[in-house]
Parts: sequence; C-alpha cells; structure tokens
Amino acid sequence: MSKIFFDHLVEFETVEAEIKKASKTPEEKEELWKIVDDIVNHKALGFILDKLPIQNHDEFLEKFHQTPHSPDLFDYLKEKIGENIEELLRQELGNLAYELLGEIRSTKSETRI
Amino acid sequence: MPKYPARTYEDIDRDKIDFSLIREKLKLKQFEAKKGLNKQHPHVLKYLKSKGIDLEKIREHSAKILSAGALTGTLLLTPPVGIKPLPSPAEIIESIKLLMGEKVPDAPQKLIIDLLSGILPERPEPLSQQEEKNLEQIFERLIGIKAKADLEGERLNTTYGYIGAEQHLRRYPGDTMINHGPFYKEGMAPGLGAWGYFAYSKDKLTPSLEEIERWYAVVQTLYLPDWNTKTRYLREWYKYRKVLIVNVKSGNAVVAAIADSGPAAWTGKHFGGSPEIMEYLGGPRYKKGPVVLFFVDDPENKVPLGPVDYNQINLPELALVNI
Repeated sequence: MSKIFFDHLVEFETVEAEIKKASKTPEEKEELWKIVDDIVNHKALGFILDKLPIQNHDEFLEKFHQTPHSPDLFDYLKEKIGENIEELLRQELGNLAYELLGEIRSTKSETRI
Repeated sequence: MPKYPARTYEDIDRDKIDFSLIREKLKLKQFEAKKGLNKQHPHVLKYLKSKGIDLEKIREHSAKILSAGALTGTLLLTPPVGIKPLPSPAEIIESIKLLMGEKVPDAPQKLIIDLLSGILPERPEPLSQQEEKNLEQIFERLIGIKAKADLEGERLNTTYGYIGAEQHLRRYPGDTMINHGPFYKEGMAPGLGAWGYFAYSKDKLTPSLEEIERWYAVVQTLYLPDWNTKTRYLREWYKYRKVLIVNVKSGNAVVAAIADSGPAAWTGKHFGGSPEIMEYLGGPRYKKGPVVLFFVDDPENKVPLGPVDYNQINLPELALVNI
C-alpha cells in the first residue's frame, strides 16, 4: 500500500472535489493531487517534530524512513510525546483542509472577476 | 430563454475554477510548507537526503518497501500482540469443505462474510502474501471467480482498502447525464477518465464499452512504485483490466473494469466505484466502505462485468441489493 502512517487522519474529500472541477485533464488533476500530498506530508511531519523532544528526532526519522506506513509509529510518538498526538494531528490536518479549501474557493471568486 | 451572442460570460460555469490560478496558489502553499519545515527542523531534510529520500517522494519510497515486503511475504509490520496465526490455504480449503459439507451451502454469502472477518484485519491495511492467497482460494471456491492479488507480475499497492463513490464518466464527446440512467444522482465527473473518452463518437460506442463505463472501477495507478518508469506498459496493462470487488461487510461482489486513476491518497480512500457498483455493493446510501479488490484471471475474456450472483438468498440483515 502506498501509505504513510498518518494517512487515515487525512480526509480531504471536498478539496478533491474542487480539484476535479478545476482540472481539464487527468494529468492536471494528478499534478494538483501531488502538490496537496506534498503540503500534507511537510505540514504533518513539521507538526510531529514540533511536539517531539529534540533528542528523539533522529530515532523517529530512522523509524519513519524504515517503515513510513507502520501504525507503530504512533505508539512510539505517544510514548515519547505523552499526548494523544494522533488526535492532535487529526485536528491540525483538519485545519489544513479548511485552509486549502479557503484558498481554492478564493480562486473561484478571482476567476469570476 | 434566448441566448444573446454577445453574452459570452453566460457560458462561464459559475463553479468552474481556473486551473492555473489554483495551481499557482497551491504551489505557493507547498513552498511555504517546505520552507517552514526547513526553517524549524533543518536536520530533517538533511537526514532524508543522506538516506537518498526526497520527502516529495516518500509515498513512492513507502510503496517500494511494501511491495518488496509483500513479494517476500515478510511485510515489515510488527504483528499485533495476541493475534492468532493465519491458516494456510490448505487449511482454508478444509474449513470451507467442512462448513459446506457435501453440498453447496444455502448461504455462501454468509460463509464469505464469516471467513473474511476471520482473516482480515479490522482496519484496512496491507495484507500479507499468505492472507491474499487465502482470499484467492475463498473467492474461487465460493464466489466462483478466479481472482488474484498478483497477476502477470503486476500488483496494486493495496488489495484491502476503502472504496468511495465516483461519478459517471463521459463516454464520448457530447455525452450527457440523460444517457446514464437510472443512477442520475451522482452526476457526471467534470473531467475525463484516465484513458479519455471510451469512444470517439456516439455511434462508435459499443455495448461492451457501455458495460465498462457502467461497471468501472478506479485504482491508484499513479502511486504504483514503477508507474513513472514503466508508464506506457502499465497504462496499457491497467486499461479496462477486470477486477473483482468484494464488500467485506455484506459479501456482495462485483466484477468491474478499471477506467480511471485515483482517488488521491489524502482522501482516506483507496479505490473508487461507479454509481452502479456502489449501489450493488452497499445500496443507495453507500458512499464509502471496506472492500477487497483483486485482478480477475480471465485470459479468454469470459467473465462478464457486473454483479456476481453467487447467492440467490437475500440475507435480511445484510440487505442484498438487486439492480
């Protein structure tokens, strides 16, 4: 499975629907999908590392490199951070979805002018 | 109401967004996200670079690890504590025989549901080679379809995931919703499928192509680890490739043809199904659910597309849908 361990927290269906409307070809659609994917991955990793004590960064990155898909990474993070990082990340990504949707919808009004 | 030639602005779809504008905005967000991570945690990109990984390609890296694990049968996953060992295919066949007795069971669909719930993890996740072999045996013996996770050396990144509802696809230039009854509610996808129009014109649309659009599936070809290096071959291989989709909760099964690529990885879904597929798999309100999706091994093209009617008995609690 082409999978990152936090994928189940990301459900940007409305963003996907807007991208489908904007793309004329499958290639355009996939290009935008990849950009959003990249934004999500950078934001998620940044959020996790902000919470994780600096002395654990290298160990976490090593684990992430070896098994980027493994749900065990959340167990590791919960142990080291001492907070429900899964829930916090879900909220953070929810905010990101809202932000991206806002950007896309503002584009819609710019298109009309 | 007449349309005045000068009012060309009336042709603009009020919901239509300009692609280049949205691309520009998203690119800016991408740049900001990268810059933010690099500023806060400069060691991350340095570390990943030292491992030969670009965060932009982390999904490709994950796919490579998982496909290598699936091929060797040793997925790099730590098995959950207390899980029972998986039965071998021979044991599965024995259990099917025992459960079936001498005759065909009255409710093979119920048997499938029970067997799947015993084999599959609770939440969709990568399956081991052993789990996939067991499912192949079950599908062949109970559903009557020879289906494989791995066919002619090709395999999807996942065989167990969430399917989501898709819209109808435009089959030829000028195709409209009126031709896609009786499922009008989902509407028509704004763009074309990954393989473009099914036919160049309405008169070139054969009954077989109509069936393909009616029973079309969407799979994530864009995330295949070798998609960028074998694009031309893989595009041909996946075009209208038959797949068996089994709803693991209801046991409803359908043979579909791949006709689009997606959904995006950040939607929480792994496959897509046409309005007809979704209606059959789970009924009119079914928008997303866990399924197993395997390639149909049908070199002579004998397996028809559409519902697999392996169980005439309607289990009241599972509401088998008839289309």
